[in-house]
Amino acid sequence: MAWLRWALARIGSALLVAWVVATVVFFALRAAGGDPTEAILGGPGSQAGPEAVAAARAEYGLDRPLVVQYLTQLWRVLTFDLGDSYARRVPVGDLLAEQLPGTFLLAVLALVLAWVLALAVATAAVGARGPVGRACAAVLRGVEVVAAVVPHFWLGAVLILVFSTTLGWFPATSSGSDPAGLVLPTVTLAVPVAGFLGQLIRDAVLEAETAPFAVTARARGGSAVGVLWRHSLRHGVLPAVALSGWAFGSLLSGAVVVETLFGRPGLGRLLLDATLSRDVPVVIGAVLVVALAYVVVMLVVDLLERVLDPRVPEVVA
Amino acid sequence: MTGRVSTALSTAVVALIAVAVVWPGLLAPGDPTAVDPLSAFASPGPGHWLGADESGRDLWTRVVHGAAASVGIGAAATGIGVGAGLVLGLAAGLGPRWLDAAVGRVIEVLFALPTLVLALLLVAVQGAGVRSSVLAVGAATAPGYARILRARVRTVAASGYVEAARLEGHGRVRVVVRHVLPNTLWPLVSVATLGIGQAVVWVCALSFLGLGALPPSPEWGAMLNAGRLYLDSAWWLTVVPGTAITLTAAALTVLGRRIGRVSA
Amino acid sequence: MARQSLVALAVVPVLLVAACSGATSEDATPQDGGTLVYATGDAEPTCLDPHVGGNYPQALISTQYLEPLVGRSEDGTILPWLASAWEVSDDGLTWDFTLENGVTFTDGTPFDADAVRVNIEHLQDPDTGSSTGYLAVQKVASVEAVDATHARFHLTEPDSALLESLSQQWTAMESPAGIERGMDANCAAPVGTGPFVVDSWTPQQQVDLVRNDDYAGLDPEAGHDGPAYVEQIVWRFIPDAATRYAALRSGEVQMIDNPQPDAVAAAGGDSDIALIDAPRPGASNRIELNAAQAPFDDIRVREAFVRSADIDAGIDTLFAGTVQRSSSVLSSVEPDVYSEPDLFTVDLDRANELLDEAGWTERDADGYRTKDGERLTVRFPVSTNQSVAAEQSLFEQIQAGAKQAGFDVVLTPLDLSGWYAALGAHEYEAVSAPYTKVGPDVLRILYHSDGTVPAPSGYFANHAELTDPALDDLLDRAATTSDADERSELYQQAQQTILESYTVLPLYDQLNRFLVRDAEGVRTLNTVATPTFLDARVLS
Repeated sequence: MAWLRWALARIGSALLVAWVVATVVFFALRAAGGDPTEAILGGPGSQAGPEAVAAARAEYGLDRPLVVQYLTQLWRVLTFDLGDSYARRVPVGDLLAEQLPGTFLLAVLALVLAWVLALAVATAAVGARGPVGRACAAVLRGVEVVAAVVPHFWLGAVLILVFSTTLGWFPATSSGSDPAGLVLPTVTLAVPVAGFLGQLIRDAVLEAETAPFAVTARARGGSAVGVLWRHSLRHGVLPAVALSGWAFGSLLSGAVVVETLFGRPGLGRLLLDATLSRDVPVVIGAVLVVALAYVVVMLVVDLLERVLDPRVPEVVA
Repeated sequence: MTGRVSTALSTAVVALIAVAVVWPGLLAPGDPTAVDPLSAFASPGPGHWLGADESGRDLWTRVVHGAAASVGIGAAATGIGVGAGLVLGLAAGLGPRWLDAAVGRVIEVLFALPTLVLALLLVAVQGAGVRSSVLAVGAATAPGYARILRARVRTVAASGYVEAARLEGHGRVRVVVRHVLPNTLWPLVSVATLGIGQAVVWVCALSFLGLGALPPSPEWGAMLNAGRLYLDSAWWLTVVPGTAITLTAAALTVLGRRIGRVSA
Repeated sequence: MARQSLVALAVVPVLLVAACSGATSEDATPQDGGTLVYATGDAEPTCLDPHVGGNYPQALISTQYLEPLVGRSEDGTILPWLASAWEVSDDGLTWDFTLENGVTFTDGTPFDADAVRVNIEHLQDPDTGSSTGYLAVQKVASVEAVDATHARFHLTEPDSALLESLSQQWTAMESPAGIERGMDANCAAPVGTGPFVVDSWTPQQQVDLVRNDDYAGLDPEAGHDGPAYVEQIVWRFIPDAATRYAALRSGEVQMIDNPQPDAVAAAGGDSDIALIDAPRPGASNRIELNAAQAPFDDIRVREAFVRSADIDAGIDTLFAGTVQRSSSVLSSVEPDVYSEPDLFTVDLDRANELLDEAGWTERDADGYRTKDGERLTVRFPVSTNQSVAAEQSLFEQIQAGAKQAGFDVVLTPLDLSGWYAALGAHEYEAVSAPYTKVGPDVLRILYHSDGTVPAPSGYFANHAELTDPALDDLLDRAATTSDADERSELYQQAQQTILESYTVLPLYDQLNRFLVRDAEGVRTLNTVATPTFLDARVLS
C-alpha cells in the first residue's frame, strides 16, 4: 500500500513535470518572436512568397488560435506523439530516438568517471598521513577546487590541443560509440563534476571520520583505510549520491557544449540547433526527454539513498 | 595550518578583485577598449606585461576592468537565484503544509530543467546577451538554494530555542525575524559565495555558444572564448582570463567553505 | 596507496585507447578509389535539395550530386554544361536551350526538355518554399519542351542575368521522378546527374556520398573524362573551427572549410596543408548604413562614419595578412567590379568637420556627440552565424575608431532568427549581411528600391534602404539590355552611384577558403565558388 502510494506520487510528479515543461516551452518559443513558418520554409531570412507562407501555416495549424495550438500540442504530448519537426520534416520522436543513446552514453560514462575520480581523490586526501601526505592532500584539494570551476569548452580545447593535435593519441572529433573518440569528451564532461562531487565527499568523510562509530571502529583495531572504506565512506558519499541527480542534469547541460565542441551528434546539439531555428516541436520534445530523464535519475538516487543510509525509513509516504 | 594559509590567500585574492571591481583605474589606468592593431598579439613582456589581444588591447587592463562585469554577472545571477530561493524556501519552510507541497513541486520542475536548457529557452525568448544569461543562471540555481533553505528553516523552527521563544509568548513575526532568519541565512551566505564562482563559469559557457556578453566588453568569459581560437598561436589570450576566472571562483569557494565551517 | 590507484585509473584507459587508435603511414602517392572526408563548419542543411529555401550550405554539398544547365569560366564567360547551346530572340523574351543528348539521372530517368520544365516549375511552386532559386527564375513565365533536346524559356521581360542565374547550384537540375517522390524523400536524397550520389544522411554527423560510376562527364572544366577518382565522400558537420582544424591536422579529415585566419596563414609553403582561396561572387563583405532613418539619413553623417573607420591595419593583423581590403560593392571576381579607394581613406578631421556641419556639435560625459539631447548612436546587430570571429573583432575596432569621432556604436551579437528579426523591425543603423549571387545582377537585389519591400517573413534585401530613382533606372536598364558592353557600363555607373552615396563601407571579398591535406585535385567552380571532388584523389 505504502509502495503503491509512493509509486503513484512519483508518476504524478513526472506527469506534472512533463506538463509544466511542455507549457513553458510552448509559450516561451511562441513569445520569442521569429515566426515558426521561417523554420518550415528554409530557415531565418526566408524569402518565401505569401502563398508559401499561408500554405505552411495551414499545414501546421499555425493559423488557428494560440490556445487551440497549445491544446493540440499538449494532447499530442499526452499521446506520445511529438509531431513533426518544422525544419527537418520528420517525426520528432525519430529524431530524439536517434540522438538519445549517444548523449546518454556520454553522460553516464562521464558520471561514472566523475565518481571514480572523486572517490579516488577524496580517499587520497583523507587517508594522507605525515607531512608529505598532508602537502599532497592540500594540492589535491586545490586541484578539486580548480576542477570544479574549469569551463567545459576551455578544458576541451586544451585536451584537443594536447592529446589530439600534439600527441595524436585521440581523435579530435567524436561520433557514435567509437571508443577512441569518446575519451576526450567524457573526460571534458567528467572533470568539473568530479571536482564538485569530490568536495562534497571529502567534507562528509571528514565529518564521519570523527563520528563516534568511526572512533569506536578504530579503537577496536580497524585499520584507518579499512574504517574509511567500511564506515566513513558509506556516510561520506550520501550527500554526493543525493546530488548525483543534479549532477546528471548538469552533465546534460555540459553535453550541449561538449557535443558542439567535438562535433558529436546528440541531444544537446539537436536542442541548440532547434532553439536557434525556432523548431518548436523539437525543442519541446528534447526538453521533455531531458526533464523526464532527470525524474528517472532522481528515482534511482532515491532508491540508492535508501540502500546506503539505514536512517532513511524504507518508504516515506 | 594549510587551511589558514589558503584562507589568507583567498582573502587576499578576493580583496584584490574587490579593488578591481570598485576602482579599476587604481590597478590599471589605461582604457580596456583602446584598440592598437600594431601591437596585436603582442606576447607578454615589456609594454604589455600580460600580452595584448587580437586587436592590440592590453590584457592586464582588460582583466582588471573586466572584473566588474564578470563578478557583477556572477553576483547578479546568484542574487536572483538566492532571492528566488529565499522566497520559495521561506514560503515552504514557514507556510502551511499545502504551500510547502506546492513549492516542493515548483522546485522539482525547476530542478528538472538543466541550466543550459533553461538558458537556451531564455535566449530564444529574449535574444542573446548578458540579461538572458544572468536570468537563466539565476533561475537555474534558485531551486538549489530553495531546497537548502527549506530544510534549514524546518530544522531551526523545530529547534529548542525557537520553541522556547514561542512559549515565552513572542509573536510569530518576531520569532521569525529574531531567531529563524539569522540562523538560516548564514549557511546560505556560504553556499552563495560558492555559487558566484559557478555562475561566472556558466555565463562563460553561454558565451561559447555565442549567446553571452556584448563585445568589446572585457568580460572574462567573452575574453576566454574569443582567445580560445588562438590557443595554438597566442596562449596568453586564454590563459590570462582563464586564470582570472579560476582564481576568483577558487578563492570564493575556499572562503565560502570557510564561512560554512564557522557556521556549523 | 590511494594516490597510486588514482594515477593507475587515469593511465590505463589512456594507454588502452592509444593502442587501439593506431598510427598512420606518411607516403604521398595519389591513388584511385578510397574515401575523402570533408568537414564543414557551415550550418547543417535541413534539406539537401537546394531548390528548397536555398542557402550556401546547400550549394556546397549539392555541387557533388546536382549539375546546372550552364557553367561559368574564371573570366565570367558562360560555358555549356547540361545545355550545349542557347539562343535568345531579338526581343529578349524567348530563350532556346539545346540540351545534351543521352544524359540520365542517377535513378535512370532521362534528362530531357521535360525535366527542365519540371525543375523550373518545382522552383516556382509555392509548396517548394524556394527563395534563392525562386528569385533567380522570377522572370521565367513558362518552359516549353519543344522536343526531347530543346527547351524554350518564355520570359515576362528581358533578363540579362538569366544564364548567370541558371549557372547557380540553387537552380540545378533534379530528376523529375525524384521530385515526384514528394518533399520529404527529395530532401533526404535529391537525385541529379553529378559525379556522386547521396547514399545516406546521419543528421548532425555526416552525409555519405558514393561515386556515380555512370557519370557523363559534362563538367566543362573537368580535368579528366569519366567518373570521379574517389569512391566515397564523407561530408561531416563539425561546427567548431578549432576542432575542425585539429581534425585536419590529426588526419581525421582531408579537407575543411571556414578555417581560422592563423590556420590559413600557416598553410602553404613547407606545411603539408594546402590552401584553396576562392572568393565568392556577387557582393563583397561590407557594412551597410541605413539611409532611411536618423542619423544616417544625412549623407554627411554617413561619410563621417566611413571616414572614421580605420580598418586596414585591423584587417592585416586579424586575418594574418591573408585578406585584401576591398573598396567596391562587388566581389573582385566579378568582371564588372568597380572600385573607388579614395572614398574610403581615413580622415578623422574630415569626419569631425562633417559631424559639426550636420549639427552633432555637443559631446556628452562619455565623449559621444549629441544633438538636441540625443546621443549619436549606431545600432549594429551582428549575426554570430555569418560573421567569423576575426570579423567580429574588426567590428570592435571600427567601434573604437568611430568612438573617436563621437559615434556610440552598439554591437549586438544575435542568432540568425534574432538578427533577421532586428533587420525586419528596422532596429539597425549599420549591418553587415553577406549575399552570394553569380553576376552583377546582385546589385539589383541589394540596392533597387524594390528591395525595400519586405517579404511576408519581414525579410528585405536592401539593407541600406536606398530609394534612388536614378539608381533604379540604371539597374533596370542593365537587367534588360542585351548589349554586353552597355550592360557593363550601366553596372559600373550603378556601383559608382552606390559607393558615392556613402551607404556602403566595403571590407573585403566574401571569404571562402578551404584547407586540404593528403588530397589533391580539388577545385572550385567559378559559379558560387563551391568545391567539386570530380578530379580529387586522396594521397596515402
